Amino acid sequence: MEAETQAHDDDKPAAHGNGDDHGDAGETSTDGGDTELHGLLAEFETPGALIAAARKVKNAGYTEFDCYSPFPVHGIDDAMGIKRTKLPLVVFGGGLTGLCGGLLLQWWMNAHNWPWNVSGKPTWSIPANIPIAYETTILLSVLTTFFGMWAANKLPQVWHPFFRLDRFAKVTDDGLFIGIEASDQRFELEQTKQLLVAAGATHVEECHTDARPEARTVPKAIYGVMIVLTVVALIPFALAFKARASKSSDPHWHVFSDMDFQPKAKSDQPFGEFADGRANRGEIVGTIARGNLRADDAYYRGLRDGQWITELPAAFKVDVDKLNRGQERYNIYCAPCHGFDGGGHGIVPERVALRGGAWEARNLVSSDSVAIKMPNGQLFNTISNGYNTMMGYAAQVPVDDRWAILLYVRALQRGQNATQAELPAGAQVR
Amino acid sequence: MASATEAHADDHGHGGENARETFRGITRDVTKVNLTPIGRWWYPAFGVSLLLLGMLVVAVTHLFRTGIGIWGNNNVQGWAWDITNFVFWVGIGHAGTLISAVLYLFRQDWRTSINRSAEAMTIFAVACAGIFPILHTGRPWFAWWMIPHPNDMGMWPQFRSPLMWDVFAISTYATTSILFWYMGMVPDLATLRDKSKDKVRQVVYGLLSLGWRGSARQWHRYERAYLILAALSTPLVLSVHSVVSFDFATSQNPGWHTTILPPYFVAGAIFSGFAMVMTLMLPLRHVLGLKHIITQDHIHAMCKVTVATGTIVGGAYAIELFTAWYSGNLWEWFTFRNRILGPYAWAYFIMVSCNVIAPQFFWVKKFRENLVFVWILCAFINVGMWFERFVIIVSSLARQALPGAWGYFEPTKWDFMTLAGSFGLFGTLFLLFVRFAPVVAMAEVKAVSPAAHAGKDDH
Amino acid sequence: MSATKKLHPDEKIKADKVGGTLFKAGLGAGAVLLGVSIAMGAGKGDHWRHFLHAYLTAWSFVFSICLGSLFFVIIHHLAKAKWGIVLRRQAEFITGALPAVALLGLVFLVPVLFGNENLYYWSVKQLHDKQHPFFHHMHHKLGWLDPVFFAGRYAFYFGVFIYMSTWFRKQSQAQDTDGDAGRSEKMRYWSGFAVLIYSLTTVFAVTDLFMTLQPLWFSTIYAVNYFSGAMLATYCTLALLSMAIQRSGRLKHSITVEHYHDIGKYMFGWTFFWIYTAFSQFMLQWYGNMPEETVFYSYRMFGGWQIVSILVLVGHWAFPYVSLVTRWSKRILPILAFLAAWQLVFHYIDLYWNVMPNQTWETAGHWIRGPLQGDPELHKVNFHFMDVTLLLGLIGLWLAAVGKSMKGNLVPVNDPKLGECLAFENY
Repeated sequence: MEAETQAHDDDKPAAHGNGDDHGDAGETSTDGGDTELHGLLAEFETPGALIAAARKVKNAGYTEFDCYSPFPVHGIDDAMGIKRTKLPLVVFGGGLTGLCGGLLLQWWMNAHNWPWNVSGKPTWSIPANIPIAYETTILLSVLTTFFGMWAANKLPQVWHPFFRLDRFAKVTDDGLFIGIEASDQRFELEQTKQLLVAAGATHVEECHTDARPEARTVPKAIYGVMIVLTVVALIPFALAFKARASKSSDPHWHVFSDMDFQPKAKSDQPFGEFADGRANRGEIVGTIARGNLRADDAYYRGLRDGQWITELPAAFKVDVDKLNRGQERYNIYCAPCHGFDGGGHGIVPERVALRGGAWEARNLVSSDSVAIKMPNGQLFNTISNGYNTMMGYAAQVPVDDRWAILLYVRALQRGQNATQAELPAGAQVR
Repeated sequence: MASATEAHADDHGHGGENARETFRGITRDVTKVNLTPIGRWWYPAFGVSLLLLGMLVVAVTHLFRTGIGIWGNNNVQGWAWDITNFVFWVGIGHAGTLISAVLYLFRQDWRTSINRSAEAMTIFAVACAGIFPILHTGRPWFAWWMIPHPNDMGMWPQFRSPLMWDVFAISTYATTSILFWYMGMVPDLATLRDKSKDKVRQVVYGLLSLGWRGSARQWHRYERAYLILAALSTPLVLSVHSVVSFDFATSQNPGWHTTILPPYFVAGAIFSGFAMVMTLMLPLRHVLGLKHIITQDHIHAMCKVTVATGTIVGGAYAIELFTAWYSGNLWEWFTFRNRILGPYAWAYFIMVSCNVIAPQFFWVKKFRENLVFVWILCAFINVGMWFERFVIIVSSLARQALPGAWGYFEPTKWDFMTLAGSFGLFGTLFLLFVRFAPVVAMAEVKAVSPAAHAGKDDH
Repeated sequence: MSATKKLHPDEKIKADKVGGTLFKAGLGAGAVLLGVSIAMGAGKGDHWRHFLHAYLTAWSFVFSICLGSLFFVIIHHLAKAKWGIVLRRQAEFITGALPAVALLGLVFLVPVLFGNENLYYWSVKQLHDKQHPFFHHMHHKLGWLDPVFFAGRYAFYFGVFIYMSTWFRKQSQAQDTDGDAGRSEKMRYWSGFAVLIYSLTTVFAVTDLFMTLQPLWFSTIYAVNYFSGAMLATYCTLALLSMAIQRSGRLKHSITVEHYHDIGKYMFGWTFFWIYTAFSQFMLQWYGNMPEETVFYSYRMFGGWQIVSILVLVGHWAFPYVSLVTRWSKRILPILAFLAAWQLVFHYIDLYWNVMPNQTWETAGHWIRGPLQGDPELHKVNFHFMDVTLLLGLIGLWLAAVGKSMKGNLVPVNDPKLGECLAFENY
């Protein structure tokens, strides 16, 4: 151990420059005269020596000191008495926030604010929400770790008194140092120096800082520039929010055409390429669209040779299913006016009467009704195309269903005009 | 690592000088890359990368002006070349995180010499990957629609869509990788700050290094944070490629819908990533003179990881094939037979020979020591892993359940230009990184070197 | 890294009587409990179906730990890992139980050979009939699911496992006596091939033994999920076994809190990997919503099994996962022991959840109802006391087999890296 206290005659290290502009102020304590002792910086030979010295300094009761090294020296935490950082706890909080936030985000947006059916899955379908909640958990944890660590380390802080010492530039290369701050209660320049030398320092030097007030404050201009930059950075957001909140009749502002303008004709628009100047093309004369021939007059129109048919068309096969189908369709489309029994007491006339009006739907089943006398063809035509105030149902009800309705109406008529003798045995009214 | 015992030079003074010389040597060798004029090789390499990048700009500009129709995609092949590139590049990125985070957790000290450049590779690969889905949307200037916000009708993004999961996974991954990378770099940027001689570098590195001064109290929190970030990156890297695999596996498309896909994608990603790390490192250690830092031992280790993951990938191919048959699902079985015997059989066999057969050479030490051969095999693996994604995406879509919807994808020159251009983007970013950032994590290499224990008496 | 230590001079490293005691106690308890279970199985009157399922569940519990221990040994050599060298011998002892496990498997293997439908439905002869409702789905793979071929594969799987484990154990124990460092290098060299063969064998063994219980259902990740559960159980077992050995006064200085800390980390890691694979399987089948796949979950997500599913999710993942995050839960040994035991219990419940729902099927005329077809009426948990006696009985017999192989040193004393392992410290 050949430690010596070299204060001023030390050879200059080859490299210097501390990222700050005080150049090689070094250990000279006399630049401007108005300086103040910051502390002592001692250099050590090996990581082992550094650990041993750190332990001695700690045991001597110092608290305002730190070790500096180009890499984390394992074992130094214990020697210096550094307590385990609370960072993991903070990160756990960050992660939990991310998890809850991620789940809440998806629940609120997809299940609550705008419930949205996607392939029949529940709007609040947790399995599908796990990936995003997982990512937000990690994201928030990472951000907490990163920024939490720098904040706890009080960085960025691009300037530090030790940077004034040329020798300190070695701290990122091969230098191992202990720095004791003058603010420590036990700090006594000579005594502390002795301690460090005794602890095995190969070099101890004093560190002075510029004590002039102007050297310690950030120029006002920097604050000004930062404020201006912040405001400028907010302008685009402000404009976007304004556009969002206000209405405008101006057309879209297109960077790219967005496929809004396409070289094609839309329906009911003029189009010069055709002789009639219209974009719409009608049916071609002399053609019929596939499946629209409808040659069966009886089935499609209830006519044979220009007369209403009285029987059912041959294309309509009668069975119980058809009758049931007819009942179901009748109850949907006809019963609101004509009533479930066909007597004309549907809910619509009832409601009109309630409001003081009078409007009757035709009774379909009384023995003297028009409907009972109509031939099948005409009744079918009535269902299809309407009668007086009744509109046609050809648009809503397919042909086969219309015949099924007719079948059911005939059944209602037959049923309500039956004689005693026609009823099956045991069902007669005595 | 080897030569552990020689650090126990008991004489403090003597061991001290040796140890410090070790530290200085590491600093010198790594900082010289940034602080001395770079070798002549850099300029032609950078020129080629810039040219390719220019090609990407041309291809993308044409795409924006005209539309997706310039690519070979069609009704049947809605996903093709573009998504292949996306999955390929994301996969490349994964090795970087694996090296920096997973191997850190497993205390594999050999990672320190390559982790920095592998992390850089991750970030640039994710950047390359990120452009493809955005281009694929057809109207990339509306990419901001993916940010959760209500649209004009008060409607929100659809979070049950795997494509939305992708947005979150990839952006979280990019953010984490950048922060992890930057945080690891801060002490080394401080070294560059202290070693730089000109004002500009001093100020720029000074600002970037945030005033790092290597205090033990700071190191303590720094190391803890590093460990936490590593512990967070590990499940993250697992999730990212799993989410990418969900893009496929949540569908009912035969060949895509299978439960092994998440870990199989992750293994494939690590596999391709390690191959890419070696593709980059082998020439780099040569031209940068870092052969004593990135040593043959590292190459051995990386080759072993490559053969391990390559074999896992091969095993997954086998399980998929077996289960396709075992399941009794006609479409599934047809899809796999079609991969092997159908119109894309050529792609399938490129995939198998590059991914499963090629890495098997790495079992043998002699092959691992022939670096030219290693480099060629790694290049093959890169090709093979690109084709794996191509086979999964294109061959499955080309033969879906309805024969009426069968098709065949043929790339256009714009497809080729975009892919080549993405390599240009990657190369440009990587070469800039090599030029201006510390390529080896000096502080970490110092910390795991035997010299870091010099003078300790607890051995 | 560089720090090394020598074995503590007062260390007791010999197994001595431990193995013998374990053998006697395990065999006695196991035989009694197995007898009780057989009595209950005979009395239950459902053609042994419950007994066979419960037996398979219990068997798969001990099988999984042997399987995991074998992987632990192989991967230790492959990765040149140092931290766990003091635990490696214990894992080697556990793999010594593999022959016994293979023999215990005959209880359900022999009925398969006779075409008994109670456990593996595919072994019935009627399946070859074109009229059978499953013929259409299964005829292509009846060659694979053939009782004799199945038994042959079973023999092959165990042949591979037993050969590999014996080789590694013999090499390791031989090193104790001759101190040949070359053996470490040799084991490392072969571990690469071993891990390859191990993975393929495990995948097919798990597929055969457990996935075919529901012969129409399939999942490519199933074996990986089983494997991760097995690894988790292995680390828990190693933690508990180490503590037990230390309580007997052996290895008091060699296994430190640092090693337990690492076991805890692996427990945490495998818990994560287990939920990862389980979630991958669940999410993809749930999202894909294809009936041939969702049958597995529809039977477990609704009805009586719903509560078990939730129990597995919370007990096997959420609670232990959160508990193992902190540093102290891995370093305070009673807490670690509690979590290890907890995870082992839930590993069993997980296996129970995988296997047992398959037993509640029945034939109604020409049709099969139940888990084979996802019939909701049969979604019920048929817990029986013999599930517990069988588990404890098989654990007893398995411990007897482990005890039988527990001879000589409890640590590989001549492993070249043992010194580094003894001085190992977490950072």
